[in-house]
Amino acid sequence: MDNPPSTSKSMTPDSQPPIIHKKDLSFLDRIYIPQIVNGLRITITQIFRPKFTRQYPEERWTPPPSFRGRPVLVEQNGVERCVACGLCARVCPALAIEVQGSETELLKERYPVKFEINMLRCIFCGFCEEACPEEAIVMSQEYELTFTSQDDAVFGKEKLLMSVEKLRDRLEFLRKNR
Amino acid sequence: MGSDGTAAKQKILRALENADTNVSFDDVLEHDMVLNMGPQHPATHGVLRLLLRLDGETIVSAVPDLGYLHRGYEKIAENCTFHEFIPHTDRLDYLSPLANNVAYVLAVEKLAGIEATRRTQYIRVICAELARLASHLVWLGTMAMDVGAVTVLLWGFREREKIQDIWDVLTGVRFTTSFTRIGGLAQDLTPECSAMVTSFLDQFADNLNECEKILVRNRIFVERCEGIGVITKDQALQYGITGPILRACGVEHDLRRDAPYLVYPELDFHVPVYHDCDVLARFYVRVQEMKESVKILRQALAKLPEGPVNAGDPKKVLPKKEHTYGRMEELIHDFMIINFGINPPIGEIYHAVEGSKGELGFYIVSHGEGHPWRLKIRSPSFVNLQPLPVMMKGGMISDVVAIIGSIDPVMGEADK
Ligand code: SF4
Ligand code: SF4
Repeated sequence: MDNPPSTSKSMTPDSQPPIIHKKDLSFLDRIYIPQIVNGLRITITQIFRPKFTRQYPEERWTPPPSFRGRPVLVEQNGVERCVACGLCARVCPALAIEVQGSETELLKERYPVKFEINMLRCIFCGFCEEACPEEAIVMSQEYELTFTSQDDAVFGKEKLLMSVEKLRDRLEFLRKNR
Repeated sequence: MGSDGTAAKQKILRALENADTNVSFDDVLEHDMVLNMGPQHPATHGVLRLLLRLDGETIVSAVPDLGYLHRGYEKIAENCTFHEFIPHTDRLDYLSPLANNVAYVLAVEKLAGIEATRRTQYIRVICAELARLASHLVWLGTMAMDVGAVTVLLWGFREREKIQDIWDVLTGVRFTTSFTRIGGLAQDLTPECSAMVTSFLDQFADNLNECEKILVRNRIFVERCEGIGVITKDQALQYGITGPILRACGVEHDLRRDAPYLVYPELDFHVPVYHDCDVLARFYVRVQEMKESVKILRQALAKLPEGPVNAGDPKKVLPKKEHTYGRMEELIHDFMIINFGINPPIGEIYHAVEGSKGELGFYIVSHGEGHPWRLKIRSPSFVNLQPLPVMMKGGMISDVVAIIGSIDPVMGEADK
């Protein structure tokens, strides 16, 4: 491989600083004492700088509307919007979703008898939300998930349903940006 | 498993013995020893295992042993639709997930003959450069820590944290972004988000200078980096090294400029090149690259055009969500794309981008189905790790960490 042909954007030697080698270090740099003093100065000034960290369990973080928290099923007028089309289960790269559909008297005609998301498998990619043709599964703002056993981590319909009011921010964001 | 394990062991031992030395390997009384570094050693940046043959403190030979993080991504890809594979690319070079997302969809788009809109191309440049910054910041911190400067580690991570806050707003998560889509993006860049990027850039230059200042005239840092891990320009080319390591060997090679993709030709930036071939030169290249990335980001934000994000190709690009809810045609396309994939034409393509570590390429063979028939990932970390024995030979044991730090390998990408 030859050197690539230089174009107008080729390197101009003066636009990058030269390397400081050992021989370029001054006497003061070599004896190292100024470096130590400087190091102490940095440590001390750091005390008076604003803190960057967050004291997590006490100080909570509010996610922005674009945040992809755990996926939930949208509940409207007491029932889920889902029509059990199975598209979310198809697209899920982690194979986390299981849907079993059946017929209902309601206008939507079909509903999921069983809807499970294995939260140990879910990778919060948001593909299910993107694929769903009914706006029935969306990513919520919840990010705190703890389980004490593997069975706990399989969320059924009762744990997944969330009322549409609670998801207002996210739904608005999706309508605007997707 | 047993016999395979023995064969692998034999191979490693032979490689160690082949090094030109007259000290015999079997004689325990010789002061020659084999040191096993990793896979859990903190200085090997992930699960890289190194076998070092030492004469006193001098390295006689070194053999890297890879594969501890192998997850079989190339094989997994053959069983996913092109769309489903996007989250897997996050987990290759996990320090710059956004850049991998961009590289992968560019390859698929080339295969399927889709052209992303101008706005999307600009946003993708912003993504790729933010990812480069984030990755280089981790490198800066870890490499400085490897040679003893812990302060810079914390400063580097502080800056990276700010980038991840931007990703949080831009993509919805901090780390595993899965942001790009074939023919577009998961969502648009909001004005608040571009304001966040601008305010980050405004303070970043000072903070980077602070990190740089604390290191460049520091005697310990300079002495530990200068003349270490040398690999000549010819050797570097022979091994196929790319990225900052190659540019530290005096080869002016940057795919953003030499094989332009996205809108890089419209942006003005400079490719830093140094000729020292050692760890110190790699440090300078990467620090200068960060400054160039800042320049690119500012230009891209200023030039960001208005317009749609997703390309208008209904058979290959997911429709707008509100149309899926109301219109039959879009609903059908939604089902078809998700269920059966985008079915690109039969053929094979290779597309590479300049990732933060070097040339990140995807080679895809398509048989006209919704999933790739074969997908090969040309990961820069894997290739850049190959010349480790050359760089280490004759060095001291304390140089090992500096050399690995300067290569900046990410094992998620090297082992795939
Ligand atoms: S967020 Fe992703 S991994 Fe989780 S259930 Fe949805 S599609 Fe599956
Ligand atoms: S894609 Fe939507 S409607 Fe279809 S099964 Fe999943 S949640 Fe239900």
